[in-house]
Amino acid sequence: MTTASQTESYSKTLNPYLIWRRSFGRWIVKRIPPAKNIVLNINNIFIIPNKQGLGFCFVLVLMFIGAINYETSLAFALVFLLIGMFILTIFYTYRNLAGLHLSAVTDNSVFVGENAEITVILNRHGKRIYEAIELSFANSRKVVADLIDQKEFRSRLFIATRKRGYFNPGRLRVETFFPFGICRAWSLIDLELKCLVYPQPLECDLDMLNQNDQDTGKVNVSRGNDDFYNLREYQVGDPLKHVAWKHFARGRGMYTKQYSSNVDEKIWLRWSQFAQFSEEDRLSKLCYCVLKLDAAGVDYGLDIPGCLIEPSKGSLHYHSVLRALALY
Amino acid sequence: MIFMKNKKTNQNSSAVFYQVPRTSLAWILCSLVAVIMPHVLRMPFWLVIVCGLCVLGRVLIYQGRMSYPGPWIKTAVVLVILWTMLAQFGRNIFSTESTVAILIVAICLKLLEMHRKRDVLMVIYLCYFTVISEFIWSQSIPIAAYMLVCVLLISSALMSLTQTQEYQNPLRTIKLSGLILLQSVPLMLALFILFPRISPLWSVPLQSASARTGLSESMSPGDIGNLIASDELAFRVKFAGERPATSQLYWRAITLDSFDGREWTRGFSFEPQFLGAAASDNKSWFEDIEYRGDILDYNVIMEPTDENWVFSLKIPQVVDDRMLMRRDFQIDSIRNVSQRFSYDMRSFMDNRLDMTLRPRELQRWLRLPEEGNLASKAFALQLHEESGSDEAYIQNVLAYFTREPFFYSLQPPLLDVNPVDQFLFETREGFCEHFSSSFTYLMRAAGIPSRVVTGYQGGEYNPYDDTLVVRQYDAHAWSEVWLEDQGWVRIDPTAAVAPGRIEQGSQFTFQADESFLQDAGMSLLRFRNSAILNDLRYRLEMIDYSWNRFVLNYDQSLQFAFFGRFFREVTREKIIISSMIFIFLSVSLMIFLVLRKPSRDRFHPATDLYLRYCDGLSKQGLARERGETPWQYYLRLSNLKPAWSQQMQDITELYIKLVYKNADPEQEAKAILDFKNKIRHFHMLMY
Repeated sequence: MTTASQTESYSKTLNPYLIWRRSFGRWIVKRIPPAKNIVLNINNIFIIPNKQGLGFCFVLVLMFIGAINYETSLAFALVFLLIGMFILTIFYTYRNLAGLHLSAVTDNSVFVGENAEITVILNRHGKRIYEAIELSFANSRKVVADLIDQKEFRSRLFIATRKRGYFNPGRLRVETFFPFGICRAWSLIDLELKCLVYPQPLECDLDMLNQNDQDTGKVNVSRGNDDFYNLREYQVGDPLKHVAWKHFARGRGMYTKQYSSNVDEKIWLRWSQFAQFSEEDRLSKLCYCVLKLDAAGVDYGLDIPGCLIEPSKGSLHYHSVLRALALY
Repeated sequence: MIFMKNKKTNQNSSAVFYQVPRTSLAWILCSLVAVIMPHVLRMPFWLVIVCGLCVLGRVLIYQGRMSYPGPWIKTAVVLVILWTMLAQFGRNIFSTESTVAILIVAICLKLLEMHRKRDVLMVIYLCYFTVISEFIWSQSIPIAAYMLVCVLLISSALMSLTQTQEYQNPLRTIKLSGLILLQSVPLMLALFILFPRISPLWSVPLQSASARTGLSESMSPGDIGNLIASDELAFRVKFAGERPATSQLYWRAITLDSFDGREWTRGFSFEPQFLGAAASDNKSWFEDIEYRGDILDYNVIMEPTDENWVFSLKIPQVVDDRMLMRRDFQIDSIRNVSQRFSYDMRSFMDNRLDMTLRPRELQRWLRLPEEGNLASKAFALQLHEESGSDEAYIQNVLAYFTREPFFYSLQPPLLDVNPVDQFLFETREGFCEHFSSSFTYLMRAAGIPSRVVTGYQGGEYNPYDDTLVVRQYDAHAWSEVWLEDQGWVRIDPTAAVAPGRIEQGSQFTFQADESFLQDAGMSLLRFRNSAILNDLRYRLEMIDYSWNRFVLNYDQSLQFAFFGRFFREVTREKIIISSMIFIFLSVSLMIFLVLRKPSRDRFHPATDLYLRYCDGLSKQGLARERGETPWQYYLRLSNLKPAWSQQMQDITELYIKLVYKNADPEQEAKAILDFKNKIRHFHMLMY
């Protein structure tokens, strides 16, 4: 057993690929430090001819041999012109990234399993236009951005999330093959993206909250928190999910549904209430409860080890509770 | 090979196909059609139709009206095409024409199976290659310009492939690729001028299916007369010094020694004693040549003939590595002249050749067929006896041509059994080959060693670039006789009959004749009587000559001449070093052009002025902080510099008003002027 684990740890430390990844990671952090706004320039753009470019060179060599054998001056001239074009393309490809301003924003409310949405904002200043810029994260699909008539371009990237807590999508790969596709210019930039991922809600019986509360005897929750009480006129700020849409559809004006349990009810979500589950399951079930309670519009508080949040309601409270669950 | 590849890719045709974007497809089809166009006349007609069908098929596939052909269909099509090609070209299947035809049809077939991006790229790259293949046939200025357009189209196709479909704008694509190509020109020039020219790696077949117009290795009555109908260029000459008189311009090409009664041919291969690169140890015969008279240096650019012989005035003193001189003083290029060929020569206006002839050689120059033309033989013997000496005999024969009613004519009557007899005593109408042939016959019959030489005589002088243009209709034949103490002497019997032909050239002698230039079509040469058109023709020829001389025939000697302008002594090292510097500079120039800072967006004129105001303040150590609004800036500064507070307030208020308040343009212009003055006063206040 020990030998096996030892060899495993050896292979982890000595695996050339991992060593390469680690040292590359260290190197790239030094080379392109993370920042909220990044302007692409000579310090953070890499460029190299790609496979297509090698194919182009191969064709050039064939053409050159043809020019030598048939001793045709114009064939020489054409080959030299294309060599010039190839060299220029290196700079043009570089130019298609240089001077581009990049920043990104994330959407915070994502649950595990959902796609985190990251909006990358590209800005250009001056007259230079940028074409066919491919943006991607390590495990997202590619998005192509073009800044031709507009000064700003927002492209949305989606990445699947697998773990709760802070999610770092890794470095954004900004890549371009424009103008001729024979060179690849790219940059790997860290836009200090931090996306908070909440636990995955797992359905559970809300009665569990009651049972445990009877033990402690602190809060009395009636099961009527979903019971309809009456309608009152809609006021700006009322949650949309409480709007009586059926009523509205009939053309009788906009009303907000009120529930009987809204009054004076305070519910505590406690760690101990889900004692029989594993840690992650507990968090997931608590998360589910939070969603339900928020939808119902009841006051609820959170009491888990290391975190105590007094019962309250509203969007801010909702997010701070979920945040506590995500970061547990 | 290409077809094998086709078959291979058939197997994974079930994969998801890469869909070429619409605009890119249009670019590709356009450039392909453009590239094929110049080849159309050279390709078999049915192949052109196959190519057309492929392009059409590709469009139908794009529209979804047709699916990609299956593997069996493709294999069948390829086999049928290959089989038909073999039937058509036969043994010439490896000739350049059929190879290029196969290349073109392969690209077109590839259109029908562009499944992956790689296939699309292959089509585009092969288009570039096809451009090169056109240059094998023609490198004229119009073709070069057309091919440049093709390259632009192909590059646009390549660019459009990397662009996003919905943001494509064909005009922008072609503009940018044109710009990049334009910026590549300095490097192209640098490489073109400086890159060392390498001799061919292996010999390539250059078979031309169409026979070329020009001299042939044999001469029978009527051969040279046929050339009169053609105005095709034979070669061009540029003299380094004074141009000799037209009557001196006998351009030697072929020496003919054996006569069968009708036709003159090169009898057997002459002793392989060569002057030039392949010179053997036994140099005696060409060391005996005496060079006398004026030195004549000249450069000849010869049109391709697919033969070996080259042209020279008299016998050149030195020939370069690519040529050799045979025992009969015919000068041959080592390789077939299948491309335009440029060479330098040095001749002397007077030289004496073969002062002594060995008996075996003597035999060769005297041999005549035993039978036929007996009347001429008898005539020669009688006249020779009467004359007394060889020189007098020659004079008498020439006098016979002048005295008797001989005519110089383009359409002589046909001669049959004894052509020499018939010509000398019956028809007496002939072209230069009739005269030279019968003259040489009369010489040999009288025991004087002699031979026929064919080549060109005269040429047209272009006043714009000092070149002599020699065309097919300048073709000529004359004789050389060997005399004791004089060696080989040139005698032109045609000159005795038609002196105008030699002094003014054939175009003046024959311009009224209907068979002259009859193959030339709408040539500008037909209008030589119109001063304007003639002038235009001279100018066009001048451009064409420079193009040929300095672009198409750019070689090592021109390269050295180019560097000779900068260095007193040109060495390989100097060329390499200065090439490096030159290339480095041109690349740097391009980089500068590409990477220079993009021009800034235009600000509001007031903003420009305000920024100048801020600059002024920052020089005083009062720079505006990041994110500070003009008003905050003013407030901060007014505490620091209460003395300037009033002015600063005025400026800031005015600026805010100018930028944020809508006003009619006239008033705004006035306000900006006011603003400018305020800032100027403030600057004066600061210093």
